Amino acid sequence: MKRFASFISGPLGAIVLIIVLMSIAMLIAGTSPIDGFTALILGSLGGRNQIGETLVATSALLFPALGICLAFRAGLFNIGAEGQLLVGGLFAGAVGAAITMPPFPAIVIMLVLGAVGGGLWGAIAGWMKAKLHANEIISTLMLNFVAQFITLYLVDGPLKNPAANGAETAWLPTNYWLPTLIPHTRLSIGLLIALALAMLLQFVFARTVFGYELRAAGEAPEAARRSGVNLSRLTWLALAISGAFAGLGGATIVTGELHRFNTQLSPGYGFIAIAVALVGDLDPLKVCVASFAFGILEAGGLAMQASAQVPKDAIHVIEGLIILVLAARRYVAQRSERIEGAANV
Amino acid sequence: MTGLILTLLWLTLVKSTPIIYAALGGVISERSGVINIGLEGMMAAGAFGAVVASNYVGHGIAGAMIGLLAGIASGALIGYVLAFAATKFKVDQIVAGMGINLICSGGAAYGLVLIFNQPGASRQVNSLGNNGESALIGFAFLLAIVLHWVLYRTPWGLRVRATGENPLAVKSAGLDPLRFRLVAVILSGALAGLGGAFLSIGELNLYSDGMTAGRGFIALAAVIFGRWTPLGAMGAAMVFGLFEALQYALEGRFAWLPADALSALPYIAALVALAGITGKVRAPASDGVPY
Repeated sequence: MKRFASFISGPLGAIVLIIVLMSIAMLIAGTSPIDGFTALILGSLGGRNQIGETLVATSALLFPALGICLAFRAGLFNIGAEGQLLVGGLFAGAVGAAITMPPFPAIVIMLVLGAVGGGLWGAIAGWMKAKLHANEIISTLMLNFVAQFITLYLVDGPLKNPAANGAETAWLPTNYWLPTLIPHTRLSIGLLIALALAMLLQFVFARTVFGYELRAAGEAPEAARRSGVNLSRLTWLALAISGAFAGLGGATIVTGELHRFNTQLSPGYGFIAIAVALVGDLDPLKVCVASFAFGILEAGGLAMQASAQVPKDAIHVIEGLIILVLAARRYVAQRSERIEGAANV
Repeated sequence: MTGLILTLLWLTLVKSTPIIYAALGGVISERSGVINIGLEGMMAAGAFGAVVASNYVGHGIAGAMIGLLAGIASGALIGYVLAFAATKFKVDQIVAGMGINLICSGGAAYGLVLIFNQPGASRQVNSLGNNGESALIGFAFLLAIVLHWVLYRTPWGLRVRATGENPLAVKSAGLDPLRFRLVAVILSGALAGLGGAFLSIGELNLYSDGMTAGRGFIALAAVIFGRWTPLGAMGAAMVFGLFEALQYALEGRFAWLPADALSALPYIAALVALAGITGKVRAPASDGVPY
């Protein structure tokens, strides 16, 4: 049993598990797994457009996953990436529609403000945790819903594009769009920003005092506190930066792919990113690989639904099962000490 | 004005009920030492299970009753998954709970397509009707009192609470703490499933994607705000229910009020409650710590 558990929670086991579960989901839907997987692979990697869509999802998952990774390393749970993506996207979309200036500074301003927006949203939970000892899991979850309704109110009211039927901001001028990475696809250079961010995070973890303090706070909070780490400052900073990553992700989706803001910006990327971060072992470089794998599932899932009649939601069930299996893995020691250390969650 | 107040009172009862059920589930689970972030998913499972059973059985109120039982059973089944993972594999309960939420919301969406052949929402099924809805509302309050009594006045309740505080002490008294956790989390799932079934075939007569709308998470805030006691959680759930009711009572009457922004009220209320209460209350000592 132990060996089985350790096998399926390893990377090879995860792939085998995915294939077996996907096959079951396909059989239930009345499709042969061969047809199903063919549709999934062709739909995600079968051509330039498909690869483009896979990488769009990869990039959208990578930003929040890196943020979750950073918070998790500090022993903090950020389940609020979905809301942070929305707030970041809203900041970028609203500002981009309002300003008039040359494209380069405009794009930089949109991206920076996106990060600021997501960062503020994360900082609310961080401040509540650091100053009031409010459980960050519940506060980030609540903030998701607050973000969803407030952004919806804004784009259906004050910020609504009067020319559009739905609730969305005005379109960005074409020269404010992030340049495309692969011609004739929707993929923008946002992916490169995400990859650069992953390398930066790897450097921060491995080589900086801040990264060391984050890991110390996550692995042995009491020891970290005694050796002079300001846990309260670290807590709100970690959640704010984590939110900023997701917010920057939202901003790249707006400037890179949607070219306006609406609340359908993310089909749950913020939650799936939790799975991505865990599969990637909370290691920024492995998280890049995990994002690509989940990007295949996301893009391929849509294609599978269209051509093999397997509902794409099967993908989310499988992603949930992967999280459930990974929960048995390594976080236990680290979290339990944290929870005991702050029993007043 | 009296009309508005009466509407508001009734809506508060209606909107509190599913949160009360889920929050009672949260209390019993956390009292045994397992944090149940999966309440949200268990509510979705209950809501969906109830609609599917009612759809197949049909035939008036009997069909709806079987739907209700199926909802409870669906919640309990998902509760068992978390209970098994938490006791057998000593998983990180938060991670496992998030996984369960994704499985349930995705599973229900997948099931909608397979069973009802349409994404987004099921077709309309037999509901419990107005009487059934009222009965379930009353039962929620009754159950809160009963659970309070069970937790504080029976040996079983004492043992569950002891398991949440110090499982080793329970072990040294010759009892198996894992058994108490297993039962408590399954019950927790059943209660959340009941809350979900209330949403789908009590208040309405169908399942739609996202219909639980974070009520399982609000229930977790209610558990904390209610200081981990059934009656306290019931009171907290009513406060959050009141804010949800306010939104419905106000948005029709005052056209200038922004409906979307009002929808954020219950979540903001939960945030404020969480910010105001923590530090003044104490969670069970072994809450969230695998044994």
